[in-house]
Amino acid sequence: MQPTTTLIAAIFPCLFLLACDAPTKKYSQTDTQTELAVTSQLDPVQASAEVMGKWTRSCALCHVNGEGGAPRVGFAQEWKPRLVKGQAVLLKHTIEGFNNMPPLGYCMSCEEEDFVALIDFMPGESE
Amino acid sequence: MTRISRRRFLSNSALTLLYGATYPTFSTTKQSVPWRNWSGGIVAHPKARFSAASEEQLANFMASTSGPVRPVGSGHSFTPLVPTDGHLIVIDQLAGLLDHDPHALTATFGAGTRLGDMGPSLEAAGQAMFNLPDIDRQTLAGATATATHGTGIEFKCLSGYVTQLRLITPSGDQLDVDATSDADLFNAARVSVGALGIVTRMSLQNRSPFKLKQKSWVAKTGELLESFDRHAASYRHFEMFPLTHSDYAIALSTEETEEPVNNPPVSPEEEAAFGEAMRGWMEVPPGERRPLVNGLAEQIEPSERIDVSYKILTNVRNNRFNEMEYSVPIGAGAECLKEILKTISDKKIDVVFPLEYRYVSRDDTWLSMSSGHEDHAAISIHRTASEDYRPYFDLIEPIFWKYGGRPHWGKVHSLGADRLGELYPEFKRFQALRAKLDPQGRMLNDHLRKLFGVPE
Repeated sequence: MQPTTTLIAAIFPCLFLLACDAPTKKYSQTDTQTELAVTSQLDPVQASAEVMGKWTRSCALCHVNGEGGAPRVGFAQEWKPRLVKGQAVLLKHTIEGFNNMPPLGYCMSCEEEDFVALIDFMPGESE
Repeated sequence: MTRISRRRFLSNSALTLLYGATYPTFSTTKQSVPWRNWSGGIVAHPKARFSAASEEQLANFMASTSGPVRPVGSGHSFTPLVPTDGHLIVIDQLAGLLDHDPHALTATFGAGTRLGDMGPSLEAAGQAMFNLPDIDRQTLAGATATATHGTGIEFKCLSGYVTQLRLITPSGDQLDVDATSDADLFNAARVSVGALGIVTRMSLQNRSPFKLKQKSWVAKTGELLESFDRHAASYRHFEMFPLTHSDYAIALSTEETEEPVNNPPVSPEEEAAFGEAMRGWMEVPPGERRPLVNGLAEQIEPSERIDVSYKILTNVRNNRFNEMEYSVPIGAGAECLKEILKTISDKKIDVVFPLEYRYVSRDDTWLSMSSGHEDHAAISIHRTASEDYRPYFDLIEPIFWKYGGRPHWGKVHSLGADRLGELYPEFKRFQALRAKLDPQGRMLNDHLRKLFGVPE
């Protein structure tokens, strides 16, 4: 192919993202606030306050805005292709890292049961 | 166990993100999952982890326990700074803006605050950091412990802007340290690779908020190198990304502006087009790649964007990689870079990642890569996380040594205490201070023993 790229802005992510499967989006708290305003309309599920704190300090970095192609919290359609792999695979990917997702998803204090709860929580249709 | 609804979960999470509030937990739990760093190349099996909910809890923990500990931030270091078979100390609850002085333009953050969360908090307080590194996922503690830096001959590494810090020592003492209370400890603790204890809060000298205009263009690597000093002096920030197996590099200049924000997201189609081109390069043997890369480079037109400082200075790097970076004395930078590029070409190293070349100001810490009396040129090489970086990095690392390079503490290198002692005039003083604060070696792992020459 003959690329017709005219913006170097398009190049930088690719230089550091050789896969280039998904657009990158810079994290900002304004975006976070907007997304949370949407997702907070979801039906209630149960989770512990401790797990909530861990989610806020780690998973939320990418799973609120869909950073790096991450499936967004509460957007069940985005989770479907992942969920069909089964919980064991998702757990393994979470602990070991997978594609753009770093190992442990930035949650340095999460244990296996935390990850299980978070994987169950984030798609938004577990209840 | 307290149970809450999803609505409450998200609502409270939003408040936490916006205001830096935390939900403290005091937990030391059996480690059931291994720890890995961001790139996945370093694995550890700590026997337990301790998630500190407050400085007091952390001090009590350190005072009431024995055995090895290692603090962890975001796990962005490519060197084994974190691994331990003892307790892994997680500091992400020690986060958020704690205090700020609108007159002095200083602000105090929990050391577990991620750099990406600092910009909005500071903006709301009428402040901004002078400079930021390329990636903003790191915690303040981790970034300063490794002398992480941004770009610009007028700008020090992050540690150079620290005005005060709180250190929990290996024995559980809580020390508030600044340049007047204990200058030696202050100069050592600002870049300590977590060897002196656990830093729990830091105050930074900041400035008023500002906007930046960033311009990008492609030019011949040789021409950019010849004009690099002039550009570095005339722009607030200037750096270049030499393309491998090519005659071209991407130049990046950044300067302050009062112009309105204009920072549209990159179109996915354009990203995809360039990504496809790069995958095409990788199918061509490195020795035959130059015409292809040059051809694409020549088609690239300049671009620019404008935004508040923290949105311009940092980038999200989603695809994981490993990196080696050395800082060489500024006068040796160009020759060092040329030799690396020639080696990549002559040895036909199959790498499409660009290099990164930038200047960093000298500072007065003991162990920053730019500590001392001269500015430095920082040169980085990268490999995707899924590739074996060793053959490439092993070939290039001796070139850095030849030019007097100091390795970035958080990026791949193989140096130990003997060589590091030659590179850092204050290294012996740091070793002595470390031994005094941590006579039992609680803060050490194998990597730190090698760094500081401490036998098992």
